[in-house]
This record gives sequence, C-alpha cells and structure tokens, in this order.
Amino acid sequence: MRLLLALMALSAITIAQLGVGSLDGRDAPNAAITSGAIVIALVKVRIILREFMEVRHAPVLLCRLTDLWIVLAGVGLLGCYFVGMAL
Amino acid sequence: MTKGTAASARFVPGQPDMWAFVLFEALVFTAYFMVYVVRRTQSPDLFLASQAHLDLRVGVFHTLVLLASSWSVARCVKAARARSYRAATTNAFLTMLFGFVFLVSKVIEWATKIEEGFGFTSDEFFSFYYFLTAIHFLHLLIGFGVLAIAVHQLWSPARRSQEAIETCATYWHTVDFLWVLIFALLYVMR
Repeated sequence: MRLLLALMALSAITIAQLGVGSLDGRDAPNAAITSGAIVIALVKVRIILREFMEVRHAPVLLCRLTDLWIVLAGVGLLGCYFVGMAL
Repeated sequence: MTKGTAASARFVPGQPDMWAFVLFEALVFTAYFMVYVVRRTQSPDLFLASQAHLDLRVGVFHTLVLLASSWSVARCVKAARARSYRAATTNAFLTMLFGFVFLVSKVIEWATKIEEGFGFTSDEFFSFYYFLTAIHFLHLLIGFGVLAIAVHQLWSPARRSQEAIETCATYWHTVDFLWVLIFALLYVMR
C-alpha cells in the first residue's frame, strides 16, 4: 500500500510538471520554473530513494549520504543556474 | 528476534558495493548536469528555442513509465522477502515490460527528432540531449541484464538470494531517479 501511495504521489507530481512546463513564455528564461523543476525533481528522487529503495530502513550513514548528495546536487544545479545567468 | 524487532531493524538493501556505485554514478551525473546548466545559461535563447522542439508530453510519459517500473521492482523485492517467488518473478517481468516500453518510446523520439533535422551536431542543446539520454539509455540496457540476473535468481530455489535481488533492484531504481533529473533539466527547466 505504501509503495502504491509513493507511486501515486510521484505520478501526480510528474503530471503537475506537465502543467507548469506548458505555461506561456517558453521563449524566455524563467528562474521560478527552473528552480521549481530542480527542487521538485530532487524531492521525487528522495521519495524514490526512501520509499522504493528502502533507504528509510537503512543505517543512518546511508540515509545521511543520500541526503547529502541531494543537497549537493540542489546547491550545485541552482548555483550554476543563478551564477551563470548573472554572468 | 521478534517480528516487531525484525521489522524495525535497519539494514542496507542489497550489497553495500552497489550503494557505493550508486553514489558514484549520482556524483558523475551531477557533474554532467552542472556542465549542462552552465552551458545553458551562456546561450539561453538557443537552448530555449531548441528545447521547444521536444514534446513535454513524451517526457512525462517516459517518466511515468520508469516510475511504474521502479514501483514494480520494489514490489518484486517485497514479494521475494515474503517468499512469494511467483509474485516476485511476475513483478520482475513487469519491470522489464515497463523498461521495454521506455526503450521503444525513446528510440521513436530519437528517430522523430533526427527525421525533423535535429541531430547530435545540430546545436549545443541537442548535443547535450543526445549525450544525456544516450548515456542513460546505456544504463537502461545494462538494467535489462541486471533484471535477467534477478529473474535467474528467482527461478530456482537453489539460487535464490535476497541480497542479490535487492542489489539488482537498487541498480534499476538508479536508472529511474537519474531519468527524473534528466527529465527536469531537458524538458521542464527554462
């Protein structure tokens, strides 16, 4: 049941991205949509890691390492985007 | 050990070596993604114009299919743990089916883009598009071999190893979560 709920949540978020991605103004950079896309993707990845890959039952070290990578990826991608746009 | 204690005990799903590989792959792909984002910010108009030629609905479909494959392989692991090997095998085959649907759909998308005149050398966006999707595709192909190992394990009572099945599932989930990030960066971001 928990796996099905996770799948439904992940699918609902993905379908919502279809709505966000279809918004007008595809011809101009949009920091809000980009930030949202990256953050939502990382939230989805964390759900996959914790629910499907059973990291929530794993030793604390593995939980911390996967969370650390998610934070690093988020900071790295958003940092590259905002610094790059400012240059 | 009581049932309650067993349920609350912490464990590494599959072999720890596979987790080291997963974290290594995650870091390597993060580096690819960061290079893509930096290059994108240097030519935003070109990237946006080329990105408009991708069909977001196809990206969403690919994502939903791979999410479903992750769900079925997670069910395979749970069924094997409960010694319901028939259900586990069915879910392993279901995972392969979802993977095959993704594979065919991705090849059709590539063929359509090439037919429309957007090849690897068309522009920088499409170079990244083909590079990222192709390297992911390679991981997907390896995933079929990994799933075959899981089925091979499940097939015979003499071979069944829960750790091996969990290791195979961990690899397949990695293929899924890497795609989730590729989808966001190639199809959604602006």
